[in-house]
Amino acid sequence: MKPAPFDYFAPAATEEALSLLAEHGYDAKVLAGGQSLIPMMNFRLVQPSILVDLNNIAELAYLREGEDGGLRIGAMTRHRQVETSPLAAKRAPLIHAAMSKIAYPQVRTRGTFGGSVSHADPSAELPALSLALRGKFRLRSQRGERWVPAEEFFVSLFTTVLEPDELLVEASIPPMPPRSGWSLQEVARRPHDFALMGVAAVVTLDEKGLCKEARLTFISAGDRPMAAERAAEALKGQAPSPQVMKEAAEIASTQEIDPSSDIHATAEFRRHLANVLTRRALEQAFQRAAETTQEG
Amino acid sequence: MTTYNSIGKSLPRVDARGKVTGETPYAGDLSMPGMLHMKVLFAGRPHARIKSIDTRRAEAAPGVVAVFTAKDVPVNEYGLQWQDQPVLCGPGSSKPGADVVRFVGDQVAVVVAESEAQAAAAVKLIEVEYEDLPVVTDPLEAMKPGAPRVHEEIGDSNICVHYKIRKGNVDEAFAKADVIVESEYRTPVQEHAYLQPEAGLAYIDDEGRITVVCGGQWTHEDREQIAHALGLPEDHVRVIYPAIGGAFGGREDMSVQIILALAAWKLRKPVRIIWSRQESIIGHGKRHAVILRAKWGATKDGKVIAIENEIIGDGGAYMYTTNKVLGNSTITSTGPYFIPNVKTDVYGVYTNNVPGAAFRGFGAPQALFMAEMQMNKLAEKLGMDPVEFRLKNALKDGDTMGVGTPSPSPVSVIQCIEAAREKFGWKEGKRKEKGNGSHLKRGRGFAAGFKNIGFSFGYQENCWAKIELRGKAEVDEAILYHASAEVGQGTHTVMTQMAAEALGLPLEKVRLVASDTAVTGNSGSVSASRMTFMSGNAIRGAAEVALRKWKAEERPAVGEFKYLAPRTTNFEPETGYSTPNFAYAWVAQAAEVEVDTETGHVRVLRFVSADDVGQAINPALVQGQVEGAVVQAQGYAIQEEYKTKDGYVLTDQLSTYLIPTVLDIPEKVETVLVEVRDPNGPWGARGVGELPYLPVAPAIAAAIHDATGVWINEFPFTPERVLRALGKI
Repeated sequence: MKPAPFDYFAPAATEEALSLLAEHGYDAKVLAGGQSLIPMMNFRLVQPSILVDLNNIAELAYLREGEDGGLRIGAMTRHRQVETSPLAAKRAPLIHAAMSKIAYPQVRTRGTFGGSVSHADPSAELPALSLALRGKFRLRSQRGERWVPAEEFFVSLFTTVLEPDELLVEASIPPMPPRSGWSLQEVARRPHDFALMGVAAVVTLDEKGLCKEARLTFISAGDRPMAAERAAEALKGQAPSPQVMKEAAEIASTQEIDPSSDIHATAEFRRHLANVLTRRALEQAFQRAAETTQEG
Repeated sequence: MTTYNSIGKSLPRVDARGKVTGETPYAGDLSMPGMLHMKVLFAGRPHARIKSIDTRRAEAAPGVVAVFTAKDVPVNEYGLQWQDQPVLCGPGSSKPGADVVRFVGDQVAVVVAESEAQAAAAVKLIEVEYEDLPVVTDPLEAMKPGAPRVHEEIGDSNICVHYKIRKGNVDEAFAKADVIVESEYRTPVQEHAYLQPEAGLAYIDDEGRITVVCGGQWTHEDREQIAHALGLPEDHVRVIYPAIGGAFGGREDMSVQIILALAAWKLRKPVRIIWSRQESIIGHGKRHAVILRAKWGATKDGKVIAIENEIIGDGGAYMYTTNKVLGNSTITSTGPYFIPNVKTDVYGVYTNNVPGAAFRGFGAPQALFMAEMQMNKLAEKLGMDPVEFRLKNALKDGDTMGVGTPSPSPVSVIQCIEAAREKFGWKEGKRKEKGNGSHLKRGRGFAAGFKNIGFSFGYQENCWAKIELRGKAEVDEAILYHASAEVGQGTHTVMTQMAAEALGLPLEKVRLVASDTAVTGNSGSVSASRMTFMSGNAIRGAAEVALRKWKAEERPAVGEFKYLAPRTTNFEPETGYSTPNFAYAWVAQAAEVEVDTETGHVRVLRFVSADDVGQAINPALVQGQVEGAVVQAQGYAIQEEYKTKDGYVLTDQLSTYLIPTVLDIPEKVETVLVEVRDPNGPWGARGVGELPYLPVAPAIAAAIHDATGVWINEFPFTPERVLRALGKI
């Protein structure tokens, strides 16, 4: 199918884009990599009357080390750029490692970080990972600029706190503390399809090897990226034993997520997978944390 | 060993260059000046009577040239076996019952417009008044007295097929059995998912013939069905096959051919249609879903002595080839074994589902799933190695099949079993290493199968070819005329090789003119794995005649030949006694899988397929057929799920109906060519198209059992189904 008719703007600078959004905000859709928007338009699931294409805005595509030692990612940075970036591998290894799980190379060559986060698909990786890593997003409009933490950014299915005239221009991923480990576990019907269930774990050990902090976030587990806070709380202060991880997985999968049934999987199956994958993610994350500790 | 000049060699495909470069046009690539575009209004509901159709708004819409409905179709019926399907459903045609839609993909009207977009827009303006009728989608419900009738005009119930096998005395034999295994199995629908959805172009040619250019499997049968529906003599219709993007049996039945011909005939202008993937998935038949109940008994020395089967196939809304598909299930439901006592009942049932259709294997994969599961379960119960158990029971020359007569000789299932065992490295007894406590468990499974080559049940198989030798002292060029459809399997290459061999000419001198009813005779269908066997014999005959005339100095020397295969017979109604086929091919396979017992994922690590093709005309193409079939059957076994609810199709796109990608296929598929020559086959060739598909699902099921200890009697073996079987959810 072809999309419904629309007016098309391709500004060359961020300011120009903000001006277009100020004028057309409610009727406009922002086109970044187009890996979700274009199919949705072609199926006429969305019919924006105006399209603001960011692909000519070179200043929005970059990877930089943050002042805090983390990673700054321009909204128009392609997944493939992140995937092949040594800087990203060093400053945000979980984000870097996740890239190869996002769809196929064709999609990653076009898809963007800002596009994926703004689209807020609960079955996508980057929203859940931003949440796991306590990332924050810089939103700009002609009215000004604000930083919103990932915890507050995602509202519900395909919905964020972005106002119609606002543009997500940058993500900031803080560094993980020392003695931290991470893992991303996913299950899909086919390799690289949308995950039926995905779990990201970020854990930090204290000097004695006990769990100082844990973050567990979930993909395809609710109407937005879901964080399991009670499970994380249960891990705190514990030595990372199989039993402790099993209990955390139980809490997270039974109490803290809200998966639904669809054509590909039942909610029951998704909960089961959440349990299995949480345990696998914690095992790997704690192991990585212990290894970095040993390395000094 | 005989040496050949052209056959037995992996020569490059004659169609490779054009297809790889994109120069070769497929049906959807065709266009003509002044061409119009067609769109179909599908019923979109599973069972309803059409009270009225109002096309006035559509006719008045921009660009619309014509709207056709049931009243415009001269003889509003078609079907490969029974003419039980209206071309267009609706009131006003002479055919009783044509005003009823019986599945969501029934066609109600077609719009012809100057552009595709205009046709699509106008389709939405057609107003149809429906009276919904009770829907029946479960074949077991549909069989019951009092169930809603799908075809009130046909028979006295929805049961449209019933075959019986009665051989020996099963009751006495079961009394002597030391072990008995009883199970019920369910096999799923499968979408053909050929690369190219249905498409075609129709026009009036220079000689005034209605000409339909459209992918299919049998040019002359398509022509017959088109002519019948239009009420015209066959020579008023011409069918040409362009390059065809896959078929797998799915293009045996009509889809767009008759409506294209109707429009071109009425409008005297070229008309084209291209179905979307969604239209292809709802609008055309699929592999039959089948319920199979089996009770098999064996003695403790490992002989199967009695089987009792009940098989119920969901025929869907129309006959298509359900009667023949289930005939094949009947024959193959014993597996490739000698079993002295057999009682089998096979039913085909009309429902309001998308029709069951021909699909690679044609009823054999379903029956063999049951047979091979039963064999593996019996072997386990007897404490015997499943390969040894098979060898003890495998059919040999002279053994009677379920139908009471022996298979034509030579029967080679034992050679196939031994070849697969050797290649796989199958050792007797349980293996120790099974993933040592990890959630990843490995297992191995074995299965065998067989299937007919060529059409069955008393049909006089025939195939036409013509060869024209041009030149003076030497042959400059040999032109081979043949109607066979190149659906991607490589038949045009194989036929060219066989013609070169028969004529003693280099391959470069043979030119093929194919698949046009205006210049070729009837060569039959590319189905039943028959084309190498049948065309090879026709080509050899034509070559002999042409060479004789060449020696008699005729220029050009033209040899025309119609090959007639040995006669077969239909089932005797009460016992199934028959000689239903003139040739079979045999196969055995072994699989190694890894099961993630926590997520339920099944991965095929290694797959060995030993196929008796008689003589490989082009070994690389045979290997391609084996690998493609194994991948397609693995999708059937593990991945593909055609989901419906109350007759509505829920998986009508390739984002919801998931087929294997390159990352899903077995890590290793190993082909073993077994070449036990068929005395009637050309150079001994049998056939290969369906063979490697046949026992893939039960081989994988056995490997899952070996890995996990559970038998799963229904597939696809999706993660969720595996986890439920393991009691994990």
